[in-house]
Amino acid sequence: MSSSQIENLVSMLNQIANNNNYKKTDEETAKVVANHVKRFWARSMKENILKYAANDGSQLSPTIKLALAQL
Amino acid sequence: MINYFDPATNTTSNKPIDFNKDYGTPASTSTQKVSIEIDGVTITVPAGTSVMRAAAMADINIPKLCATDNIEAFGSCRLCAVQIKGMRGYPTSCTTPVKEGMVVSTENNDIAKLRRNIMELYISDHPLDCLTCSSNGDCELQDMAGAVGLREVRYGFDGDNHLDAKIDESNPYFTFEPSKCITCSRCVRACEEVQGTFALTIEGRGFASKVSAGTSENDFLSSDCVSCGACVQACPTATLTEKSVIEKGQPEHSVITTCAYCGVGCSFKAEMKGEEVIRMVPYKGGKANQGHSCVKGRFAFGYATHKDRVTEPMIRDSIDQPWKVVSWDEALAFSANKIKNIQTKYGRESVGGITSSRCTNEETYLVQKLIRAAFGNNNTDTCARVCHSPTGYGLKATIGEAAGTQTFDSVMKSDVVMVIGANPTDAHPVFASQLRKRLRQGAELIVIDPRSIDLLNTAHISANHHLPLKPGTNVAMINAIAHVILSEGLEDKNFIEQRTDEYNEWREFILDEINSPEAMESITTVSAEQIRIAARAFAKAKNGAIYYGLGVTEHSQGSTMVMGIANLALATGNIGREGVGINPLRGQNNVQGSCDMGSFPQELPGYQHVSDDVLRAKFEKNWGVTLDNEPGFRIPNMFDAAIEGTFKAMYVQGEDILQSDPNTQHVQAALASLECLIVQDIFLNETALYAHVFLPGSSFLEKDGTFTNAERRINRVRKVMKPLAEFADWEVTQKLSNALGYPMNYQHPSEIMDEIASLVPTFSKVSYEKLDKQGSIQWPCNDEFPDGSPIMHVDNFPIGKGRFAITPYLASEDRANKRFPLLLTTGRILSQYNVGAQTRRTDNQTWHKEDLLEIHPNDAEERGINDGDWLGITSRAGDTVLRAKVSERMQSGVVFTTFHHPISGANVITTDSSDWATNCPEYKVTPVQVEKVTSPSDWQTRYKKFSAQQKEHFKRSPKKQKASIGS
Repeated sequence: MSSSQIENLVSMLNQIANNNNYKKTDEETAKVVANHVKRFWARSMKENILKYAANDGSQLSPTIKLALAQL
Repeated sequence: MINYFDPATNTTSNKPIDFNKDYGTPASTSTQKVSIEIDGVTITVPAGTSVMRAAAMADINIPKLCATDNIEAFGSCRLCAVQIKGMRGYPTSCTTPVKEGMVVSTENNDIAKLRRNIMELYISDHPLDCLTCSSNGDCELQDMAGAVGLREVRYGFDGDNHLDAKIDESNPYFTFEPSKCITCSRCVRACEEVQGTFALTIEGRGFASKVSAGTSENDFLSSDCVSCGACVQACPTATLTEKSVIEKGQPEHSVITTCAYCGVGCSFKAEMKGEEVIRMVPYKGGKANQGHSCVKGRFAFGYATHKDRVTEPMIRDSIDQPWKVVSWDEALAFSANKIKNIQTKYGRESVGGITSSRCTNEETYLVQKLIRAAFGNNNTDTCARVCHSPTGYGLKATIGEAAGTQTFDSVMKSDVVMVIGANPTDAHPVFASQLRKRLRQGAELIVIDPRSIDLLNTAHISANHHLPLKPGTNVAMINAIAHVILSEGLEDKNFIEQRTDEYNEWREFILDEINSPEAMESITTVSAEQIRIAARAFAKAKNGAIYYGLGVTEHSQGSTMVMGIANLALATGNIGREGVGINPLRGQNNVQGSCDMGSFPQELPGYQHVSDDVLRAKFEKNWGVTLDNEPGFRIPNMFDAAIEGTFKAMYVQGEDILQSDPNTQHVQAALASLECLIVQDIFLNETALYAHVFLPGSSFLEKDGTFTNAERRINRVRKVMKPLAEFADWEVTQKLSNALGYPMNYQHPSEIMDEIASLVPTFSKVSYEKLDKQGSIQWPCNDEFPDGSPIMHVDNFPIGKGRFAITPYLASEDRANKRFPLLLTTGRILSQYNVGAQTRRTDNQTWHKEDLLEIHPNDAEERGINDGDWLGITSRAGDTVLRAKVSERMQSGVVFTTFHHPISGANVITTDSSDWATNCPEYKVTPVQVEKVTSPSDWQTRYKKFSAQQKEHFKRSPKKQKASIGS
């Protein structure tokens, strides 16, 4: 998994979070992001981002980390 | 007991309308009934019906010349004169409405004499070349001369006449031969009433009066004429005639089918000679188009037999090799082997495919079935990814179904029509004509668009509002409109209470001051007052309808905007009846259908999610396989995975992803990394330049099937000629599946539809038998709605109540800046279609030979740019060179181009920025810089070289010459 691929997945996650965080707590936003990823992302995309979260995760915001923990 | 037919009791008002008959004047929509007696026959008809139409309904056909039933009565030819008891003289039956108890005589000696005298005058100034005339056999003047028994012309032919009038052949598709004109004005009125363009007029008076396109300096081509052909269809003589008829003669049979261009889905009679289409005539019985068409559907069908059609399968091991022409069996075995080997080496998920929104429902269904059942994964997607995927997401979330809510006809009951990010006169012309008709009747128009679209120039319009917002600020605009409505108490409280959920949270959000038009002014660049006026007009309308296009969806907040539109319709109670609704104007002919048929990676046919065990089990049982319960790749994810090296093979049916998808250089890199690219298409398209297998496709004329248009209308596509490459696309997919070891054995597309009906709840009562009987069906069509559903959500939503969505505005991450100070937005024009593969191979090229960059005079002046200059356009993704067209249709700071020609490289500039929910690309907002240049871009130079090389590979193929067919 190249860094540009990870960057792409991270920016997709941030976009989902930013569009769904109006007056929501981090936990609530994370739930929306997790559900969206579950319903719309391909298996390998989920695996790649989880692998990144486990090994590095430096580019992930706290909300995204919360979301990924629910996958 | 034997029942004898008694004409005197023949009350025919319940007789179904024969759409092949001309009733002379339009139908009346009145529910009040009137009975009259015509030639001793009593007939009951709706009030407001003309005597002529009433007679025609009783099969009494009164002679006529200036009357035809798609335009209002005019009463100029006087040939339809009749006698009516109690009325003086000879009233014209076309302009006389029926009255209770009226007694009409349509034939007697006096009437006959009058009609003969009229015909004698007409013929005294008409060439007598019937036998060699192009309309011989299809001429109403000739028919009427026969009907009235004209035997002599006492005036002779020596007096002043128009027989030397000059022919105008400027239009590529039809000629105007004024010597044959009888000045009945049918063409002029069709241009006004049917098309709504007002290009034609009658110039001069009395003997000097003649039909003219624009001013006397204009010919048809240089006039405002949009070549829709309504005038040609309306002409009762040979004056306006298709060049194809002049060249080949009258067609001998016809087949009703559906146009393969845009999402309007017009019905046509393909008028044939044997297996050759002579002309396409819009079918009056087609409910989407009601007998109208545009320049593409009516005239631009020649691509189907163009010499560029590839009619033999071809294979090669790598793209630097020449193509090798092979048998079908060899091509399919080669493809199946490659796929299997790749899956063995790289895993089950290393392959995928793209279904076509150009192909039929049945074909699309088969491709996704092949991917899910034979490839064993969910890596299927379709071009809706790059156009209306946000519609699916946004509407499903708010109103529970991923489709428009209305029929096209519904617009005739709208009082205010809001058009957002759509350009119907160019992209959905036949619907635009209907909309314009309604606007002329007095409906108000609100246009939310950065460009001043042609719809704003509609003649005889009562009021229009243009909100020329800055690209990328749709959500700010829709929130501001909702803010005005709620803060001024204009919402529909009853509807909100009874039909919706989650209102209070949304209300609180919308009423936040950040959403007020005053606060949004600096973002949208539209004055708050203008927004308030438009919002009030929409909210106060009895019936307010919203129509939208790709200017809504192709944004980073595309899905948010679709939800914002749904919020607005819910808050104003504009859902669930005629005249209102949320109407996505879908791009391609079958893009609604391809979505319905399970093309998306997360959904089985009928939008049934792959992760739902119960739904999936239904498909597993029917298909006899275990299905993956995880979503697959979307198109951009496939590209990313290909570049990464984990995605290795693709089966692409009828879709030119290389030209149509954003960030061309990224797509090129992805396609070049594939080990096996199988392209199935009618032409060697841009994507095919990177292919290893080419499977020849079939045009819409060569197969049976169905298309589903933007109003959910399932229309039949009927085969009028044999497939040029032997097999229809559905047969090829079936053969590929069999070669892969997953058996498919359909004998006819109707069997595929039966399978769809058994698996998709909204299609459960759809069958070919019902389609043939009803003409078309709007889904849902099931036990609840056995005849289909013209208007959706009448009593409730599939999810119970409508849901308001919170839609905060976020600025696009791609913003204009110092380096890229202008915003590029892309779109279509009338004469070309999408990537142009079809229209570039027709005479539609006459109107648009190249893509131009439209730029506002201020921006042009700042850069010293004049019309026709070569311009370099640069974005963060790439650069290309196009010619300049200085235009005030754009606001300052915004530039526009089309993407109909591959060499333009419009998508070299568009970026990978996309919608947050669906990855629909942000085509409508690309920050760019524009400057004068002297040579093509590097990409264009490389493209030319590569394209030439590939053409050479295609030519060298030994059997290629055989593939050239037609002219």
